[in-house]
Amino acid sequence: MSPSEPSTRIEPVREARQFEMDTVVGVVLRDGVLLSLGLIIIGLFWRWLRTGGLALDYQITGMNLFEFVTREVSLAVHGSVRPRLLINLGIAVLMLTPFIRVAVSMVYFLGVLRNWKYTCFTAIVLIVLTYSLFLR
Amino acid sequence: MGGMGGGIILIPALTLLGIDIKHAIAISILSVIATSSGSASAYARDHITNLKVGMFLEMFTIAGAIAGARITLASSPRPLYVIFGVVLLASWVALLMDKHPSGQKFTQQDAFTHWLELEGSYPDFVTAQTVEYKAGRAYLGAPLMFGAGIVSGLLGIGAGAVKVLIHDLVMGLPPKVSTTTSNLIIGVTALAGTSVYLAAGLINPGLAVPVILGVVAGAFLGTRLLVRLTNQAVRLFFLVILLVMAAEMITRGLQGI
Repeated sequence: MSPSEPSTRIEPVREARQFEMDTVVGVVLRDGVLLSLGLIIIGLFWRWLRTGGLALDYQITGMNLFEFVTREVSLAVHGSVRPRLLINLGIAVLMLTPFIRVAVSMVYFLGVLRNWKYTCFTAIVLIVLTYSLFLR
Repeated sequence: MGGMGGGIILIPALTLLGIDIKHAIAISILSVIATSSGSASAYARDHITNLKVGMFLEMFTIAGAIAGARITLASSPRPLYVIFGVVLLASWVALLMDKHPSGQKFTQQDAFTHWLELEGSYPDFVTAQTVEYKAGRAYLGAPLMFGAGIVSGLLGIGAGAVKVLIHDLVMGLPPKVSTTTSNLIIGVTALAGTSVYLAAGLINPGLAVPVILGVVAGAFLGTRLLVRLTNQAVRLFFLVILLVMAAEMITRGLQGI
């Protein structure tokens, strides 16, 4: 038995988890984009049914993503559900997709791979992204 | 789209339709999130993307993207287009001169890159083998990626070609790994830029929605193609794209928009 035996035994497990992480990251990205496109397409279709046109003529003026989402959700809660809600949520989901991908990566580095170095790197990315989402 | 978000083609097209350049940049960078995430998804599930290389370099690109987007909001970026075009042209020459772009560049890693654990392996579908590789010179790649982030935020593009060049020529990643990892980085970088443009009120849904839908359709086709190509073909593709990009940028900067 060589002294390096335990580490060579751990290696395949670690590789398998890294493999699993690739898959999870891929699925998060795919589902985020698909959900976003789905919301936008349904919103457009709904708008077409209601107005007979596809042109969108509204602006999002000077809001960060957080204000943008909370406004839409509060409008929905107050009963004014509009096609615009779905389209705006689609844009919000699109923007949050890479954000969630980074968050999921951090969970993996921290909880599964136990890689402190990369947990820190991922946390830095997450903090900067959060800061950018709250920019005014 | 071969590690690129497509903004390079999109922005001139939008400005030709009479859309203000800053709005075109903002919408382009939003659509870049969709294309790069869509492509990155397929590559990650095929285990070609190197997540550690991606995460490490993203720290630098997002900071660059926020800075770059702020510069665009504050100023006229015209002279920067020319500088960017010249840099692209220089990179194109460098890639053309490189005789072994797909060869193993680093058998011995420097201490910093080794500490960052930047190495890996990926399945090559053409030769049906697992290719092992080690990256190098991360201390050089990191500040350069900050620069790539600035370009991305500034011009509203993924700047995939610049990122791929840094991965290829500086860090010695195999072309497929560099292309796919660049895709992953672009999504997060574009988000940082998009946030700045959204807060500035430049994201117009009426323009953004058709652009997103159109660009995504094209990008998904490109992804299916790249996985089946050889490293040589990918390199040739980039040689052509880089030259076109360089010519386009320089002309735009000199003539004014």
